Amino acid sequence: MTEIPVALTVILSVGTAAAVALALLLARSARETKRLRQRSAAAEKDLQDALHHQAALAQRAQATEAEVRHLAGARVPDLTAALAHPNVPVRGLLDPAFRGTELDRALTTVLEQVSDAVTKERLRVDAAAQASMRGATTTIQALLYQLQTRLQTMQERYDDPFVAEDLLAADFLNEQALRRIQSTAIVCGAWPGLTRQNSHLGDIVVGAMSRLSGYERVQVTNQLRDPIGVVARAVEPAAVVLTELLANSLHYSHPELPVAVTIQQGNRGASVIIDDAGVGMHAEEMERAQRMMAGQENVLITELGDPPRTGFATIGQLARQYGFTASVETSPYGGVRAIVHIPGDPLLTLLDEEEQPMSPMAPAPRSGSSAAAASAVPGQPATQRPAQPEPEHTATVHLNRSAARTPSRTRPYGQEQTRPEPQAQPSEDELPRRRRRRPSQDPALGAPADAVTPTPSGDAAAAAGNPAQAAAQAAEASPEQSAERWAAFQRGTNSGRAAVDEAEATGQTPQFAPTDPAPDHGGVIPHDHSADPRSAEGNPQE
Amino acid sequence: MTPPPRDGRRLVPAYLATTGRARPSRNTLDRLTVLHGAADPTTVSGLRPEEIRLLELLRGGALSLAEAAAHLRLPVSVVKVLVADLVDTGRLMARAPIPDAELPERQILEKVLNGLRTLKSS
Repeated sequence: MTEIPVALTVILSVGTAAAVALALLLARSARETKRLRQRSAAAEKDLQDALHHQAALAQRAQATEAEVRHLAGARVPDLTAALAHPNVPVRGLLDPAFRGTELDRALTTVLEQVSDAVTKERLRVDAAAQASMRGATTTIQALLYQLQTRLQTMQERYDDPFVAEDLLAADFLNEQALRRIQSTAIVCGAWPGLTRQNSHLGDIVVGAMSRLSGYERVQVTNQLRDPIGVVARAVEPAAVVLTELLANSLHYSHPELPVAVTIQQGNRGASVIIDDAGVGMHAEEMERAQRMMAGQENVLITELGDPPRTGFATIGQLARQYGFTASVETSPYGGVRAIVHIPGDPLLTLLDEEEQPMSPMAPAPRSGSSAAAASAVPGQPATQRPAQPEPEHTATVHLNRSAARTPSRTRPYGQEQTRPEPQAQPSEDELPRRRRRRPSQDPALGAPADAVTPTPSGDAAAAAGNPAQAAAQAAEASPEQSAERWAAFQRGTNSGRAAVDEAEATGQTPQFAPTDPAPDHGGVIPHDHSADPRSAEGNPQE
Repeated sequence: MTPPPRDGRRLVPAYLATTGRARPSRNTLDRLTVLHGAADPTTVSGLRPEEIRLLELLRGGALSLAEAAAHLRLPVSVVKVLVADLVDTGRLMARAPIPDAELPERQILEKVLNGLRTLKSS
């Protein structure tokens, strides 16, 4: 029986060994399985990731494509529209996620290049158009000037009323054509096409209005104190500027309403103020007009509309080139007030009226305003302009000199000195003045004087219902008043003597009452103290 | 006949003086019509600048229409209209030019000449 235990032992040991081996194998296999499982999971995750990535890429590609399509279909058209009309917005990126990326930069570059190309091309085309317009207008303008000369010669030559009337009508038409051509030429960069000689500002205003149909409605008031002229190079530009502003006023107001033009002298230059009572401009138009008249930006004729509205653009060009300023604002009459300021320093001179008289059609300085001025400042003592003998008679005295002495005349009236004495004896060295023979008998002067009661200023203020002010003024003005009375007395004496002299010389009876202003000796009027101070101080009436 | 612009191109055209009219309200005016202001200077208010200027021009004495036109630098046809208007309102007087005094007849002059010659030669 020994065999059995041995066999059993052997069997057991073998079995154990096998079991151990199996257990080892099993454990190993389990490890292997686990590893495999892990690898498979990782692979699956990788696959998932790859799929995700691919999807993202596809989406991105799609978005990029959409962005490019958006650029072509919307943003570039927006841009070209915006270049023509600055108020059109240009759309941005479709997907904000792209902001700041490489794509964004690339697309922006595309837009910039398109914009650049379009702008350049537009400027080139506009320049070409302007050049061709300039060529045409220059020739036409020259021809129209020739026609003007011809018509003027014919007006001198033919007395027949019918022929003459037709000639005047033709001349007027010619002027209107010239104005159109000229303003078109200027917008296209041409010069005004004509150099004139130094000219009176009044002549320029009247000349400007003569170029427009409806000029009968323009009422010019000349408030200049001195015979101010514009220097040769700026005469025609000034005329063109005024023409365009007057054209607007006439065009945008009712055909029966007047357009009021006032020429005013300031310390540093002269201004022409044009008021209409027309439809006016709203804020946007006003802003555009101001921008264009400043002349800061280049004008493209393609931007002026169809038909091109050249007025403000013309003014802007000339203002920039010659140094005027023009502005528009809302007029107290309800329409538009346009103001052209011509700086005295480079652009104005004084003219000798003997050598170069004003056109008969230009309103005499102050003539139209004396009545209004008298009613505006009633009863103020007349202030005499201090006699300031100008040493020379040169035709062009620089305005600065007159500007230098104007402050004494632009003080409030009450503060002004009354110096009647020098006026009675006008010196030969006075500035050249308007020639008027015996202006003191001119009843136009007498009229405002009659209209105003010769009350001293204190009484006038009292009549206005302000006793305190009246008392103050009465106290303040009393030395002046007494001076004034003596001056009046002296003037009366002078006038009596002068009248006798003159009556002897001409054999006429003096036509004035003793209190009337005396006839002068060709120089300056000795003014009645009741006359309007403004007309008196500048005494442009002679 | 004034020559066309002596001193550059005109700035203010002539039609402005009469707003384009060249047919005077009376046809009795010609270049030699003598103009002088009315005896008493009536008020000039309400007149246009060119009319005032014409009246001023005539304060110094009478002028012929052509002279006045030259002074104003306006065509005669336009000045005629201005004058006609002013005459109509009584501010201006216009009269026909005084005809030249009649000269003695040629025959008489010849006779006198012959007489003088014979006197000299004798």
